[in-house]
Amino acid sequence: MRNSAKHQWIYAWLLLSPAMIFLITFTHYPAVQTVISSFFSTGRGRRKSVFIGWDNYATLLLDEVFWKVLVNNFWYAIWTIPLSIIFSLAMALWVNDKLRGRGFLRMAYFTPTVLPLIAVANIWLFFYTPGFGLIDQIRGLFGFAEQNWMGSPDTALYSMIAVAIWKEAGFFMIFYLAALQTIPPSLREAASIEGASKFYYFRRVIFPLLMPTTLFVSINAVINSFRLVDHIFVMTEGGPNNSSSLLLFYIYEVAFDYWDTAYAATLTVVMLAILTTVAIGQFFFLDKKVHYK
Amino acid sequence: MSGAEVTLKNIFKSWNEISALNDISLDVPAGKFTALLGPSGCGKSTALRIVSGLEEPTSGQVFIGGNDVTHIPPAARDIAMVFQSYALFPHLTVAENIVFGLRVRGLVRKERDEKLKATAQLLGLSELLDRKPSQLSGGQQQRVALGRAIVADKSIFLMDEPLSNLDAKLRAEMREEIRALQDRLGVTMLYVTHDQVEAVTMADQVVLMNHGRVEQVASPRVMYEMPATLFAAKFIGTPPMVTFSPQLLSHSLTPSLLKKSQNLTFGIRPESLTLNDSGLINGTVGNVEYLGADALIECKVGDEFLLCRAPGRTQLTEGTPINLAFNVKDLHVFNTASGQRTDNMLPEIEMALSSQNASSELAS
Ligand SMILES: Nc1ncnc2c1ncn2[C@@H]1O[C@H](COP(=O)(O)OP(=O)(O)OP(=O)(O)O)[C@@H](O)[C@H]1O
Ligand SMILES: [Mg+2]
Repeated sequence: MRNSAKHQWIYAWLLLSPAMIFLITFTHYPAVQTVISSFFSTGRGRRKSVFIGWDNYATLLLDEVFWKVLVNNFWYAIWTIPLSIIFSLAMALWVNDKLRGRGFLRMAYFTPTVLPLIAVANIWLFFYTPGFGLIDQIRGLFGFAEQNWMGSPDTALYSMIAVAIWKEAGFFMIFYLAALQTIPPSLREAASIEGASKFYYFRRVIFPLLMPTTLFVSINAVINSFRLVDHIFVMTEGGPNNSSSLLLFYIYEVAFDYWDTAYAATLTVVMLAILTTVAIGQFFFLDKKVHYK
Repeated sequence: MSGAEVTLKNIFKSWNEISALNDISLDVPAGKFTALLGPSGCGKSTALRIVSGLEEPTSGQVFIGGNDVTHIPPAARDIAMVFQSYALFPHLTVAENIVFGLRVRGLVRKERDEKLKATAQLLGLSELLDRKPSQLSGGQQQRVALGRAIVADKSIFLMDEPLSNLDAKLRAEMREEIRALQDRLGVTMLYVTHDQVEAVTMADQVVLMNHGRVEQVASPRVMYEMPATLFAAKFIGTPPMVTFSPQLLSHSLTPSLLKKSQNLTFGIRPESLTLNDSGLINGTVGNVEYLGADALIECKVGDEFLLCRAPGRTQLTEGTPINLAFNVKDLHVFNTASGQRTDNMLPEIEMALSSQNASSELAS
């Protein structure tokens, strides 16, 4: 008996170990190591890395660029999260209706999601090109002057925001569409017999029933607002004057352009702390209002 | 609140190639219970949805209380509807579900609460008002759906197989409840069902449909006793009417009469066939289905099978020769090709058979 129980243990560990080894080496160990690194100095040449306590965090508080990218990221989140959710919901409602060629529409909306962000960035690069880019050409028809969308500190960040929304909305639409399809059409009919308008039905029935999806989508949107930075590499590289730089992009710069890995680790810990707080807060705040089936 | 009458006039409905309704004309009398009965796919739901306004007819007109409402939206038609799936809003409480329509219409809170209270009391839902639909049993959900219809104070109730998701016992209970409710409220009820027992037990008037057409409109009793078509005869009654060719009575009918009856089909209710040694129909016992109080005996005559009802204690076994007798008054005659009832041959047939009966009685 004891022997076979022992065998089962070994068996279980053997089955678990491949996944565990990967998880530990590539996720848990680096995560812990990041936190540890943030309390050490960056070793350079003969100078060894040494324990410096909270020094990195003190530097961070005085780092102007850090505060700038944090503010940028704040605005980036403030615009991309609600707008991508609103657009995706609107598109899903529109596509879910019985309309001609909706298969084509669904595909069209979903395309930005299938494309890699780098490819998307290249498309938008063309849209934004001063003078002969798509946007300026259209503006030209109405007699507006040329505009350097990505080159001006006033518009660079918002250009990046537009790309992110365009990319994300199609993805979130799929979730909304799936949720909408689970709502039985008889609810719509019952409401219309009671004389409810389309908008009333949306407000009292559809929207509440979509709350679980909205929660899921909004948590994703929050994470993406820190994570989706690929297009910045292609389009602005954070410029001009860091006006379109975001936290994750800055971390990359610090780590792989300046090779200040310890400080990059510190920034990463801060970003994770922000993300965790927001996600948990969101979950508890919204969860009370969500009706699960 | 009292009912309004509903009239359908030459309604056609088709989707591209599929034709669901084919020239339906129908009167649903005010304040009465009318059942729309028919097999699956015959167009009952479509007809009901056209009355409700959820669907527009391809052609034809709908009148409610004498007004043409063909192109008027559902909310303006003075109707309440109960769906087969109940269509309760899953995220709203029972109370919110019931007053949904009152809120839409902007009724003030006080009135809303009063109506809710009265309706909940009527349906025995007072204890459940704070629950969500998912926390209710099927029967309770059904009641909430009824509550939503009642609270709206409409004069016409439309119900599409409202009991089909309930178990047999609950279904019987709810049948009575709905019927009593209709009596009490005095509303016009149009009730869709494919269950003839439901239609016969509940309705004042049964509308039998088949393949998008109306087969017969009659009271349950008339529909049972005088089915207008073979289809009606076969659809109403458990077990349904037994039909057979006149050939079966060949030795009782004169050759000329037999010839005239060639294109006819005879029908008789199983309970009108009795075991009787001097009976006109001579066959052997086939299957015996024991039902408790009585038994259904299958009687094989030539290559036709007749069903007859016998007391449950019957000891008949398969293969025993039996004779079946019937009262000629209980015979139904239909035209085989058209399926229409043809009463004009009846006197002649009756005469032939009763003289036969008399002579066989004399002989015995
Ligand atoms: N939206 C639709 N599009 C195309 N055909 C339809 C549609 N709705 C119904 N039909 C067809 O119309 C016919 C009648 O349908 P209907 O739902 O009225 O039948 P029913 O008598 O209610 O049947 P059941 O007892 O199964 O509910 C069917 O052949 C059905 O396939
Ligand atoms: Mg139906």
